[in-house]
Formats: sequence, C-alpha cells, structure tokens
Amino acid sequence: MAAGWLWRRLCQGSVFPVNYASRIMQKQRFLLNSDLIGARLAGSHVDTQEPKTNPLVSVSDEPETLYKRLSLLVKGHDKAVLDSYEYFAVLAAKELGISIEKVHKPPKKIERFTLLKSVHIYKKHRVQYEMRTHYLCLELKYLTSSTAAVYLEYVQRNLPEGVAMEVKKTKIEKIPEHIKEPVWDTVSQAKETEVKS
Amino acid sequence: MWALGSLAVHRLCTRATSMHDSAGCAHTAVPRSAVKAFLFLSASLRRGRTSQFVRPQLPPRTEKMAVDQDWTSVYPTAAVFKPASVPLPIRMGYPVKRGVPPPKEGNLELMKIPNFLHLTPPAIKKHCAALRDFCTEWPSALDSDEKCEQHFPIEIETVDYVSAGTSIRNPKARVVTLRVKLSKLNLDEHARKKLVKLVGERYCADTDVLTITTDRCPLRRQNYDYGIHLLTVLYHESWKTEKWESEKSEEDMEEYVWENSCSQRKALDTLLRIKASENLGPVTEEELLASEVVKNYRNSVTALKNEGETERNMSQYKECVKKLLNIQAGP
Repeated sequence: MAAGWLWRRLCQGSVFPVNYASRIMQKQRFLLNSDLIGARLAGSHVDTQEPKTNPLVSVSDEPETLYKRLSLLVKGHDKAVLDSYEYFAVLAAKELGISIEKVHKPPKKIERFTLLKSVHIYKKHRVQYEMRTHYLCLELKYLTSSTAAVYLEYVQRNLPEGVAMEVKKTKIEKIPEHIKEPVWDTVSQAKETEVKS
Repeated sequence: MWALGSLAVHRLCTRATSMHDSAGCAHTAVPRSAVKAFLFLSASLRRGRTSQFVRPQLPPRTEKMAVDQDWTSVYPTAAVFKPASVPLPIRMGYPVKRGVPPPKEGNLELMKIPNFLHLTPPAIKKHCAALRDFCTEWPSALDSDEKCEQHFPIEIETVDYVSAGTSIRNPKARVVTLRVKLSKLNLDEHARKKLVKLVGERYCADTDVLTITTDRCPLRRQNYDYGIHLLTVLYHESWKTEKWESEKSEEDMEEYVWENSCSQRKALDTLLRIKASENLGPVTEEELLASEVVKNYRNSVTALKNEGETERNMSQYKECVKKLLNIQAGP
C-alpha cells in the first residue's frame, strides 16, 4: 500500500520528567548518528530492539510532531457504503494500534429543492429533488506524525467513489523560545552593556 | 418458436411455388421479394446456431473456487463487481411483478455501487501487518490530556479536505487555529490584563484559553507562521507599560477594586462622623481601615460587585452593614 520510503522520526525527549527520561534517553542514545554510522554502511544491520528490519524503513533524527487528536469526518450519499467504510477504518486503526476515542454518526442532512417540470409555463407542475448527505465521525487519540501519515494514506487511498473526507488534526507543541521571557529585559541589558563599553 | 417460424416459411414457399407452377405466369399472392427476404432471414438465423460460429460458453470461475481459497488474490484491489468471480448468490434491483429481484449476471445495480470486496478483514489485517513497520509509538509518558498540556501547551488545529472533483485543492485548507492557555505563558498581573484587553473576543475567561484563527495568507505554513508571530507580538507588547496606561480609570477596570472607590470614601466618612458624634476621641482613617468591621464590609462589597447578586452574597452584605453601623434590630 504505502510503498516507497517513509521517514520514521524519533520522539522529542528532552522535556520529560526525570523518572521517564532514563528509558527514553536509552532509546535515543542507541539510535544516535555516531552509533549507527557503521551499521548503516554495512547494509544489513541487526538491531537488538527490532529483530527484523524492514529494508524500506529508514529512521531519521528529526523530532516527530505529535497529534493529540485526529478527527475524521466522512460524508457520503449512501449509508450502507459508510457503514462498510466505518468497519474498515475501525479495524485498520485497531490493527495499527491507534486508540479510538469515539465513533459516532451525526444526523443526516437533506437538501431539497423544487424546480419547474416544464421548460415553458405550467407553473403548477413542479418536480422536487433532494440530496441526502450521511456523516460518519471517527475520533482518534494520541498519534505520532508517522503513524498519522501511514493511517491517513491507507484510509484515504481506500475511500470509495462518491465519498468525501475532512481530517481535523490537533497538533501539540511546546512554547517557542522567544515567548519564554519578555524581550525588553534583554534589550535593556544590551543597551546598558553598549553604554558601558 | 424459431422452428415454427421456419415451418411457416417453408409452407409459404411451397404454396408460392405451387401457385406459380400451376398458373404458369407470375400471378402469386405473396411478392417474390418478400419471400426472398424471409428465406434469407431464416438461413442467417440457422447459420448463427451452428457450432462453427458460436464460442463455447465456459463455466464461471466460481465453480472452481475452493471454500478456503485466498480471497485477497481474487480481489487484490478495488475492482468492479464481476459476477463470475464472486461465488455469492446475490440478487439486487427492483423485483418484477410477483417475482424476485434480478440475479447477479449482467446486473447494473451491483456494478454501480462501490464494493468492499477488496477490503475483507483478512485483507485489512495483511495490509496493516505490512504497514506496522512504518508506524511509531506514542511516548508513554504522555498518557493523559493534562500531561500533554503541561509539556506541550500550544495546540495547532488544521483541516485537510479529500474529495473527488476537478481539483484536489480546497481554499478552506489554509485556515490555522492556534490555542494556548494563558496560565502556561510567563505573564505577570499587568501583562495578563493587558493581553486580555488587546485580544478581546479571542479569549475565553471560563476556560482561560486564547484562540487565534488565521487565514489571511494563501498557504497553511504562512498562516501558521503568522499565528506564532501574533502570539509573540502580543506577549511582548503586554509586558510593556506605556505612559498613557497610568490614565486607566474606573470604567476600564476589569474587576471591582474597593480601594479608592466611592464606597470606601462614603463608608469612612460615615464612620468618622459617627465617632465624632459619640465623642470618643479622634480616630484616624488608617485605624478604621484596619478594623475588622471595615474589612468584612470591603470583602462583601467586592464579592457582590464581582460575582453578582447571590443569596449568600446578599446575606453577607446585610450582616456586614449591620455590624458596621451597629444596628441590632430586625431579623
């Protein structure tokens, strides 16, 4: 399905509390560049942590983005198709180890309009059409960017005809460095040092 | 029916020929061109039935399928419904009068709808087994929402749209929403109040969440950068104190403050006059302010103004006023 190279990134580990740091630091330390140089060049490397290394998988050092919640809203005209798709998406999530928060079906929306039946006159004879849109909402919790990419690509490639999807991703991030301290303190210090010198 | 037809044609031919023979001239009831057409038709029909030109109809693939076959190789990808490849006795469509829905052979209804024959549970399990190598685990330290918030306070929400159409682009996809709790930012009291005033509608006091929604740039990454830039600017501007901020009047205050308000002045004024009329000696304002009665009165008035009128607040205010003015009468 998702053939080709997919980058598997390491987790951000620096801010975690001390009691968790040791376990995660071990994994990071093991997979540092200096340790892996020899193994990568060899070609067929044997890791003690992953006994069978898939040759298509490559690991990079950049930290992974974390998604707190992934909300999939699937829209279609046919309820039976959406039911089958729900079974498929839920099973795929379970197999890939993704925790499902909620699966619910918002009520359907019907858009109706009335048109004249004839091309010219005959105002009293009309015809009515309606378009029914059924919804399916799938909420997934706690995904890393690689897992999210894999799951979304798999699920989107198997979207049936005539079905649309909206994916709402909630990414969590640390406060950036430039918002930690107000900049006026450093500016005044810099001015003082300039004046002194 | 065809046999009947050919017999009838034969009789017609013989009659025509006999009439022709007996008369000796062309005064036949059926014109010769029509007879010729009939003869040609029958001959071509009979030609179609011969084994020389008819392809032998092979039995459908379903008859050779074992019960425990590997279905993923029959339907590896999404494909149209093939009645000869699906060993199920399905009927679909509007039934004929006092009959059953049409069978699966040549059934347009079955071909039209999207089928999930390529996504049976064993197929899904196979796919996921192959895909599991590309997934990474969620860090086990972040197993609850509170911990996520503690370590990663900023939430960025983006929406992707997938649909079939002439274009894969959707203009709504560039919207980025940034959410952060003000308690996680490094702000002092003045900075916090200034930020809330600057931001206005985007701050929710109940949940202490600041929401910034940007969609002014054409690309999502630009909107994200702009959102972070806005947050940075708001943060740094709120730490600054401008000269005109000292002109903040009572109408600009976010919550009621008793010090230097008319309630304090009037209460002190009344108490001073009471003390003067009782002739107990000069009492200073600081002593009055430090006294228990005035402090209780201050708390009750602040609670009333800030939290609104509730049963508890009103009764508390009543008690404080009675103690302040030394009124013992009444329930």
